[in-house]
Amino acid sequence: MNAAAPSDDTLIRIRGLTTVLSGKKVFDALDMDIPRGKVTAIMGPSGTGKTTLLKHITGQMRGDAGQVQVDGKNVPELGREALYALREKIGYLFQNSALLTDFDVFENVAFPLRQHTSLPEVLIRNIVLTKLQAVGLRGAAQLAPSELSGGMARRVALARAIVFDPMLILYDEPFVGLDPIALNQVLKLIRTLNQTLGITSVLVAHELDAIKQVADRVFLIANGKVVAQGDPKTIAGDGSPWTRQFFGGEADGPVPFQYPASDYAEALGFPRSGA
Amino acid sequence: MSQRKSYAVGTGLFIVLGFAALAYLATQTSSVANRQQGDSYTVDAQFQNIGQLKERAPVKIAGVRVGQVQSIALEPGKAVADVKLSIDKRYDTIPTDSVATVYTSGLLGDQYVGIEYGHAKKYVANGGKLALTRSSEPLEEMLGKFFGAGGAADAIGGTYKVFARFSNVGTLSAGSPVKMAGVPIGRVVSVQAEPDKLDALVTLAIDNRYNQIPDDSAAAVFTSGLIGSQYVAIQPGGSPDMLKNGDEMILTQSAMQLEDLIGKFLVNGSGSGDGKQGAGASTSPAGKH
Amino acid sequence: MNARIERDNIVTQSLGQIGACGLFLLQILAATPRSLRRHVRETVRQLWFVGAMSLTIIMVCGLFVGMVLALQLYHVLSIFGGTAATGTVVAISIYRELGPVITALLFAGRAGTAITAEIGLMRATDQIAAMELMAVDPLAYVAAPRFLAGLIALPLLCCVFSALGIFGGHLVGVTWLGIDNGTFWSNMTATVDVWQDIISGVVWKSLAFGAVVALIAVFQGYTAPPTSEGVAYATTRTVVASSIAILALDFVLTAFLM
Ligand SMILES: Nc1ncnc2c1ncn2[C@@H]1O[C@H](COP(=O)(O)OP(=O)(O)OP(=O)(O)O)[C@@H](O)[C@H]1O
Ligand SMILES: [Mg+2]
Repeated sequence: MNAAAPSDDTLIRIRGLTTVLSGKKVFDALDMDIPRGKVTAIMGPSGTGKTTLLKHITGQMRGDAGQVQVDGKNVPELGREALYALREKIGYLFQNSALLTDFDVFENVAFPLRQHTSLPEVLIRNIVLTKLQAVGLRGAAQLAPSELSGGMARRVALARAIVFDPMLILYDEPFVGLDPIALNQVLKLIRTLNQTLGITSVLVAHELDAIKQVADRVFLIANGKVVAQGDPKTIAGDGSPWTRQFFGGEADGPVPFQYPASDYAEALGFPRSGA
Repeated sequence: MSQRKSYAVGTGLFIVLGFAALAYLATQTSSVANRQQGDSYTVDAQFQNIGQLKERAPVKIAGVRVGQVQSIALEPGKAVADVKLSIDKRYDTIPTDSVATVYTSGLLGDQYVGIEYGHAKKYVANGGKLALTRSSEPLEEMLGKFFGAGGAADAIGGTYKVFARFSNVGTLSAGSPVKMAGVPIGRVVSVQAEPDKLDALVTLAIDNRYNQIPDDSAAAVFTSGLIGSQYVAIQPGGSPDMLKNGDEMILTQSAMQLEDLIGKFLVNGSGSGDGKQGAGASTSPAGKH
Repeated sequence: MNARIERDNIVTQSLGQIGACGLFLLQILAATPRSLRRHVRETVRQLWFVGAMSLTIIMVCGLFVGMVLALQLYHVLSIFGGTAATGTVVAISIYRELGPVITALLFAGRAGTAITAEIGLMRATDQIAAMELMAVDPLAYVAAPRFLAGLIALPLLCCVFSALGIFGGHLVGVTWLGIDNGTFWSNMTATVDVWQDIISGVVWKSLAFGAVVALIAVFQGYTAPPTSEGVAYATTRTVVASSIAILALDFVLTAFLM
């Protein structure tokens, strides 16, 4: 948008991010550039730190070293006010929906609007119902979160994440628990939001087929680093051992299936057989 | 959103209720309720001894509250308490020779100043003085002892046992006091049911000092106060023979309705108002309020 | 080092908790202006939940406390022929001690536990994090309104409790035991002082108790481990810590204020 700044087509710029959590190096000098106005997918084995990465982008967590720049601002250095001002422009879909159990579906989606605007009730109603219609749950507006199935809750959370038409939306596993029909609708929604409103989307997901349909770019992270990146349609066949193992679903390879642990035989009490 | 409204309305009601309760407590149950509405004038009175009298204690005429104690100070150079009474303007016809007395309402009650009218034609004016005063007297303590249940007598000189049968002992139990003329003279040793006679056999242990009780005396089960503990009261008869160890008292009066009346009398006499009145031993004009 | 942590005794732990609780209070106080500016509605809603919804239990308990107090005192006072003072003693003991203390204890059990469990579960289900990400400060939206609601509700509840207590005392003393109605009231009004008994007892004490109970409840919920066991344990701690704090504070306030 601001053509003067050359860095402008990169919305999120991560440099040398290093984070140690309970003794484990989750990120090891991670570098990543997420383009503005595009759909970017982040993939990686479970427990590799995808959710943690999103938390760094929203400032919920701070790394031990490195920079996380979002829209030109270094998130770890922001004060409370500035951080909240930034968050108002970010939509976030939780891995576990995280709906407010105090309110019904309608009020959950309306929550960000009520908190940050003083729009008239009619307008709020229109916006909320539009978003609920988009995720196919307008009829469920009066239900309580406890009355929803997991997939429905996920879609309500999605409606809430997009209700503000933010600059950036972070989706943590948006496709989990969706049936093929809902999955297609959500995919269409992500694409529409991106194409018509130019909303940058970052999605963490494991479904390569779905990612191929929406994402412009994909990052594969493992062992605290970006190990592969590129076009989702071609990345699986780029020939690197990482992608071969990950997309081939092989247990053996550079990505360990096991969480770092002591020797198995030793833990079971057998004498070491010797290597 | 109707939901939101109902919260707001309910919460509003709750707050109003809370403040209403506070207003009620503050104005109806505290001394604010006694604040005079109208103007008042001040009268001086000097006492030798004011006992427990405090500032803002009531001033009463014939038991009716007419004002309050404004200040208490020691008269300079004298061992005399100078008490300023603030009295309602409506009661401005107090004769100059009226007597001010420090009374106690009940034994534990707070003290107050009672004024008994004199006969003088002149009335006390603002800043005037009541020359005739009476200080708080130890008589009250005696009265209190008389009306209180007191403890059972400590049997220093040994005891002798007598028996009494009652058709109804109420809540009388072992350890209850035995009294004569209100003075404890012994205690109940045991209360046993007598199945064959359908009544209760009560064993009394009476101090040897009180061995001059006629054998036709009556024993009655009384209550000190309305729900106070029960005791055995002995009303002396006229027989020349005295009760001995192992005797049985023939005349008994069980716990019955009559005692309600007596109980009420005792309660009123010792509790409400002032002990003096119940005994008729004083000139106090203060009645019940 | 692990062994050292395990050897940390209960005193060190409690001191740590008290310190953390104090810091948390500062955070809440800092968030209060924001909370009042942007989320007053939430405070009103919480006032409904912790205040209005506690009315029934408070009223019933107040009534019974007043009744049993009158019964007991009448019995004891009748020994000294002082039954006329029943009303006075009922009023004074309710205003100065029983009203604020019992109301606060009931409040800790009725509303404090609810606050802790609610906030603990909100954290466990990521609702707190969701608010943070929607740029809604949970300190201002969740913590401060509940703290303020507790602070406001407890004195009001205590007033209601005391009024019902007096009513219960009157019911037993006058209607049942037959103390003269005028005696009952006039002795009470002669002795009870607005400032010493009602304001510094009912109002100030319960204001302090309200702050303590609400702070402990919110703090325990906020710092509860995000597990079902963690929330359950935090709820228990709310009751235990509030009860101890109420009674200890009661002693301190009585010793210094009265
Ligand atoms: N609060 C925390 N404290 C300590 N370690 C943590 C914390 N949060 C995450 N971790 C560790 O960081 C690593 C990354 O966790 P994260 O939740 O980011 O994984 P993920 O890539 O999102 O996995 P999944 O695909 O299963 O959601 C894990 O090894 C986890 O043990
Ligand atoms: Mg995750």
